[in-house]
Amino acid sequence: MIKLNNIKKVYRTKTIETTALNNIDLHVPKGEFLSIMGPSGCGKSTLLNIIGLLDEPSGGNIIVDGKEVKNFNSKALAKFRNQKLGFIFQSFHLIPDLNVIDNVELPLLYRKISAKERRNLAANALESVGLANRKSHFPNQLSGGQKQRVAIARAIVGQPEIILADEPTGNLDSVMGDEVMAILSKLNKENNTTIIMVTHDERMAKKTHRLIRLYDGSQVA
Amino acid sequence: MISNYLKLAWRILSRRKFFTFISLFGISFTLGILMTTLSFLQSELGTNAPLSKKNDFIYMDFIALEKSFYDTLTIVDTVMKDGIAVYDTTYKYDEVGTATNQSEFNHNIIQEYLTDLSAAEEMTMFSSSNEYNVFVNGVKLSIDILLSDANYLKIFDHPILEGRVFDEQEVENGEQVIVIANKLAAEYFGRDKEVVGEEMFIDGKTYKVIGVFEHKGKIVPFVSPDAVSPYTTRDFSTVDNFYFDSFETMYVKKKGVDASILKEEIKARAANIPLDHPDNKYDYTEVVLKPKTYNEMYAQAIYYESEPEKSYGIMKWVLIGLMTFFTVLPTLNLINLNVSRILDRSSEIGVRKAFGAHDGNIIMQFIIENIVQTILGGLIGFLIAFGLIKIINSGGYLGSSVLTFNAKFFVYSIIVTLVFGILSGFLPAYKMSRLQIVKALKENKL
Repeated sequence: MIKLNNIKKVYRTKTIETTALNNIDLHVPKGEFLSIMGPSGCGKSTLLNIIGLLDEPSGGNIIVDGKEVKNFNSKALAKFRNQKLGFIFQSFHLIPDLNVIDNVELPLLYRKISAKERRNLAANALESVGLANRKSHFPNQLSGGQKQRVAIARAIVGQPEIILADEPTGNLDSVMGDEVMAILSKLNKENNTTIIMVTHDERMAKKTHRLIRLYDGSQVA
Repeated sequence: MISNYLKLAWRILSRRKFFTFISLFGISFTLGILMTTLSFLQSELGTNAPLSKKNDFIYMDFIALEKSFYDTLTIVDTVMKDGIAVYDTTYKYDEVGTATNQSEFNHNIIQEYLTDLSAAEEMTMFSSSNEYNVFVNGVKLSIDILLSDANYLKIFDHPILEGRVFDEQEVENGEQVIVIANKLAAEYFGRDKEVVGEEMFIDGKTYKVIGVFEHKGKIVPFVSPDAVSPYTTRDFSTVDNFYFDSFETMYVKKKGVDASILKEEIKARAANIPLDHPDNKYDYTEVVLKPKTYNEMYAQAIYYESEPEKSYGIMKWVLIGLMTFFTVLPTLNLINLNVSRILDRSSEIGVRKAFGAHDGNIIMQFIIENIVQTILGGLIGFLIAFGLIKIINSGGYLGSSVLTFNAKFFVYSIIVTLVFGILSGFLPAYKMSRLQIVKALKENKL
């Protein structure tokens, strides 16, 4: 499903060169629930961003769903992200000017889908995360756990094959964190969705199929 | 997609009230002033009645008699000859000055030498600004009567509200008929309708009203007189100059003919006007005619250069410069405001791009937001312009010029609004669409 070969990421300024990722090789088969752990600044989020095609590696190549993404132009990358990938961020990244259902609809705006169908799909996604009764609320009217569930609904509304979650439970208490993990596990089991999750929480990582550890930009386990 | 952008635009505007207020305040005042300026230009220089044929007009308001003075010029210089400074005197016979005598035309000059031009479709001659005072019910009324041939009311297409215009026969017979503006009808008769057949007593003469036209206030007096009457009703016994009197001419060039061709044809006619007439008392040696377009005439009245084309060239660039300045400044201001507004939403852009928006989607979204905002500003600006125009018209702050709202003005205003919206929205939208997703997400203001 996802293959990373010899991925490097180097940040350069005029005076300093910082290596964020160093020769990462990774293979994530379809349907796997993978967690990535490591200390702050070790390159976890950078790796996730590169897998999610949100950032470009300085070297190496990425193959997602059998396609080498190096050759994609920006429009093709956007289309690929829209159809294959779903994102969940630690700080939710909900758009405050949109209500809950409009936030969930967002990925569908960039597909050729009628407004009615968009509405239905968004309502179903919200129902699957248990927030059918919060459609018209705005993000600032929700708790942290509810916000993250809306973010999950947004990530799954387009039925992507891969979900990339960057510390999805990082801003939540343990009860809410467990709720979010339960939803992700269910998605992985029932829909065979590939999930890659960055986490600091060993307890959450143990709930996934496989754990890899990064240290100073290199994979150590 | 578009409906979604529109919905979002409305949400953003209604949720970010302070920003919306600041933006709308700037946009509406800018557009209000621009619209008022447009209304003025449209009223004064647009091709609306009575100036529907304005773009084909060639106007001439004076005939000039000129001569040059020549004399022997003595130039004394010092040169060195065999090591000694000596005077060196040279003589030169050259022009030392010119004399010009110019005034409006004697109508005979126009009729005899300046008619039947091959590049002209039609022409009229008229004498404007003939002011007479009359007393109506003890109130003094100042009436500006334009005296003309039968063509004036055909070339200047004042909308006829009642009755008719006078014809060539009536002009030839010197019949004392008059076509009056509805404004004058109201002032003189106390009503602006059903006055055809009534009589007016002006300057000891009795005129029969045969028609009423709609008064369109313009700064140029000969475009919006109070009344028009055949020039033959005037007493010519006091005119004692072969060349000069008070008549001007307006030609309408033939379709497809360049204005310069008609101008050249008119200028060439100057050679036919005799100089050996006894009224050429000071032995002028040349007749000069300076035909000009309507816009050149207007420009010359504001900024005088002896060549009307030069006046027009300068005024055109001054006007373009001013309009650009007053459009560009607020546009830059709005761009600045938009950049900070959109920058505030950079993490939203990051999220949208992460979920599949490409650069074009982002640009479209922000341009539509800006257009919605500008249209709102445009509507308020329209109301401001409406108020300003009412104040200007009722206070008479632009002399006799009456600013108007019409379809063209509305279309121009919409164009100005959209151009303003697109211009001020595109640059920030483009800039933000190029944001790297990871950087945009790190801003995290969501």
